[in-house]
Amino acid sequence: MKRILKGVAMAVAVAGGIVMAAPAAHAEPAKVDSRYKAYQKAKGIKGNLNSVGSDTLNNLMTFWAEGFKKQYSGVNIQIEGKGSSTAPPALTEGVAQLGPMSREMKSKETDDFEAKRGFKPSGFKVAVDGLAVFVNKDNPVKSLTLTQVDAMFGKSRKRGAAADITSWGQAGLTGEYAAKPIVIFGRNSASGTYGYFKEHALDKGDFKDSVKEQPGSASVVQGVSEDRYAIGYSGIGYVTSGVRAVPLAVKDGDPVYDTSADNVYSGKYPLARYLNIYVAKDPKKGLDPVAKEFLRFVLSKEGQEIVIKDGFLPLPYEVAQEMLKQLK
Amino acid sequence: MAARNDYHRGFWAEGVPFIWISGMAVLVLLAIVIGFLGLIFAKGAGHFWPAPMAQVTLKSGSSVMGPVMETEAIPHAAATRSLFKIGNRDVYGLDFRWVDDAAVEKREYPPDAAVIERSEYGDMHGFIQALREGGAVTARAGPDFHPLLEKKIARAAHLKEEIKKAADDVEHAREPLAKLEVDIRLLEDGSEAGTPEAALKLEKLNAEYDALALKLGDAITVPEQRIESLRKELDAPTLEVALADGQVKTMPLKDVRAFYLPNRMGLSAKAGHYLCKVWDFLWTWPRESNTEGGVFPAIFGTVMMVFIMVVIGAPFGVMAALYMNEYAKPGFFLNLVRLGVNNLAGVPSIVFGIFGLGFFIYFIGGGIDRLFFTDKLPEPTYGTGGILWASLTLALLTVPVVVVATLEGLAAVPRANREGALALGSTKWQMLWNVVLPNSMPGILTGVILAISRATGEVAPLMITGVVKLVAELPVDAGWPFLHLDRKFMHLGFHIYDVGFQSPNVEAAKPMVYTTTGLLLVIVVTLNLVAILLRNRLRKTYKGAAL
Repeated sequence: MKRILKGVAMAVAVAGGIVMAAPAAHAEPAKVDSRYKAYQKAKGIKGNLNSVGSDTLNNLMTFWAEGFKKQYSGVNIQIEGKGSSTAPPALTEGVAQLGPMSREMKSKETDDFEAKRGFKPSGFKVAVDGLAVFVNKDNPVKSLTLTQVDAMFGKSRKRGAAADITSWGQAGLTGEYAAKPIVIFGRNSASGTYGYFKEHALDKGDFKDSVKEQPGSASVVQGVSEDRYAIGYSGIGYVTSGVRAVPLAVKDGDPVYDTSADNVYSGKYPLARYLNIYVAKDPKKGLDPVAKEFLRFVLSKEGQEIVIKDGFLPLPYEVAQEMLKQLK
Repeated sequence: MAARNDYHRGFWAEGVPFIWISGMAVLVLLAIVIGFLGLIFAKGAGHFWPAPMAQVTLKSGSSVMGPVMETEAIPHAAATRSLFKIGNRDVYGLDFRWVDDAAVEKREYPPDAAVIERSEYGDMHGFIQALREGGAVTARAGPDFHPLLEKKIARAAHLKEEIKKAADDVEHAREPLAKLEVDIRLLEDGSEAGTPEAALKLEKLNAEYDALALKLGDAITVPEQRIESLRKELDAPTLEVALADGQVKTMPLKDVRAFYLPNRMGLSAKAGHYLCKVWDFLWTWPRESNTEGGVFPAIFGTVMMVFIMVVIGAPFGVMAALYMNEYAKPGFFLNLVRLGVNNLAGVPSIVFGIFGLGFFIYFIGGGIDRLFFTDKLPEPTYGTGGILWASLTLALLTVPVVVVATLEGLAAVPRANREGALALGSTKWQMLWNVVLPNSMPGILTGVILAISRATGEVAPLMITGVVKLVAELPVDAGWPFLHLDRKFMHLGFHIYDVGFQSPNVEAAKPMVYTTTGLLLVIVVTLNLVAILLRNRLRKTYKGAAL
């Protein structure tokens, strides 16, 4: 009896996950908290701003730069986005004032920065992302557990999967998909998304050698939409009509959650993360005024509306206020 | 037997199979080139053509509207589905949607279906119902509605221009104030903030600021008031649009760039629209994180980079070749240099990029910064990627091509010409300058043509020497010193990479990849044509040259 009940509960949870998944595909985009204040233009803002870092944040930075430029015509912003790992050295060398990263800085990177500059870099949360596991739109898979995902992408299987998963049949699919090998798309190692996925989905295990490493998030999505048997991961903002984000559970028997805003905010969706911008805030000299205004813009109503436009989720109001406090 | 033998001998002796094989090789090559160009232009050229707007009512009762992008068979089912570009990204979250054709109740092409091009969030698809001003309806859909709307949109564009001009006036008038503001801000926020000296300085600066603001007075407030009244007029009109699924959306008219009704357009109207869009693509700046708008800065960056590269690289290569062919003693060392030059052409371009980064940017650029821009450090001026360093890197990359072509050109100048010149009493240099160089010009230009083709298509070394996704300013502008060689730039090749691999909206950006590739090809051909025409003219002038 107990087992049956548990089974029913699971089925309900799974079904719930699916029902939630359905509207998410064409749901109205999220809304910015009404408490956010409109951006107030500051005086004396002029000069260059260089941004080097995350590819996930590349488009978001460009959107923000377009918006910031509308406020201050005298500001010249240049954006490079080849991966989060390129941000710390650029900040350390002073080549960039802004270092967008889709993961947190590693202690090694912080130490290197401190050794050269004499103070620690400061990180600011600027948006929320549910790192999505994408499959082709035709793929019938209802949900996956992180254990399964680990067995698909990783070779170490640190999450304790019993066997390697190489075909869709092993992931529970029947029919046409059962015998088809899984084609795996991933990111290159400079990417913060790669680092985050390795740490949180693979539990710091190694990726399989058969992962097709792509130079950008969009090309992962493109690859998955072209290949019916493919799976890949990237920020939820890169979703298209050709792919579907699979609802995820941590392990077998756990409830399944999709990438809806509620699940991401509450942390129930297991791959929710903050997107960050790192800056060199010298405790003596303070932060470069242009960079400071840029962050203030990002944390304003306008800046967070842009986050939604790019398909990511805005920061919870409280977090944004906390960030603004740190900025002072 | 004898006859067969003859045939056999003839068949092989005349090389019939080889003629066939070489003919086939040309054919295959031609097919590849035509197929490649055909694919690019077929996929890219159609992007701007206004496609008919289909509205489908689904059996579930909902409705979807937009041009059909493609239709495919659903695997393992005897059914098809179509991809609609539904637009309205702000409402639906995605611009595209797959619809199973079996779920469609009916499909129609409503004549009033409009595509509204917006400055943000992509196109809106719907039926324009009314124009409102300050809440009240001023015009409803009817016979004279669309011309009126067009006038209003043109007016809004004009207002925006005026506002921009007035804002420029304000900025110009405020310039001395802005300078003070930066100083004040540094005192308030900077390293000395809070110290008594800073407070003293701050007080003085603030007093200076107030006096200056008073003095400038009208020069600032008059255009500011003008901006305010213009803004009021600009913000007032709104557009009411009914979407396919019945929702009614209201949007400010100032966000509308243009609108058109594809189902009502004739062939000539469509052609006119097409040309307008192509023109826009060539001459405007990218919008919406490069997924919309034009590619003007990328075209400018590409052409300017190639230009700088030729101006620096070609003379360098020609001089090296001249010395090697005319002055250097033939021998082991010269052969070594020749070998080196030939092998240099085979070095992967990314290696040149890394050399450019290490030598030009960090060593030379960093050196310039330490000598001349110490006040800005650690923020680099020349010690970071820029158009100059990228051009120099590409010049290095293409110098071997120029050297090899020039060497051949020099070698092809008939001995008689040289001897004739020497016999008339010219020195060796005069002979080279007046006879040999002009005669080998066609060969040199061949080298330049090859160099241009290679450089225009190169992306890898640029990615680490100064190309970026988006720039706010061109390397040439009206601000002193007009030519800003330290600035980063946009490049068509990188733009293709960026839009194809890193765009936030790959589906919408895909046609842009083809269009941009086509454009890059057109630019390469144009640059080459100019060089080829020049070469042909020179050939006519120096008929004696063997090339």
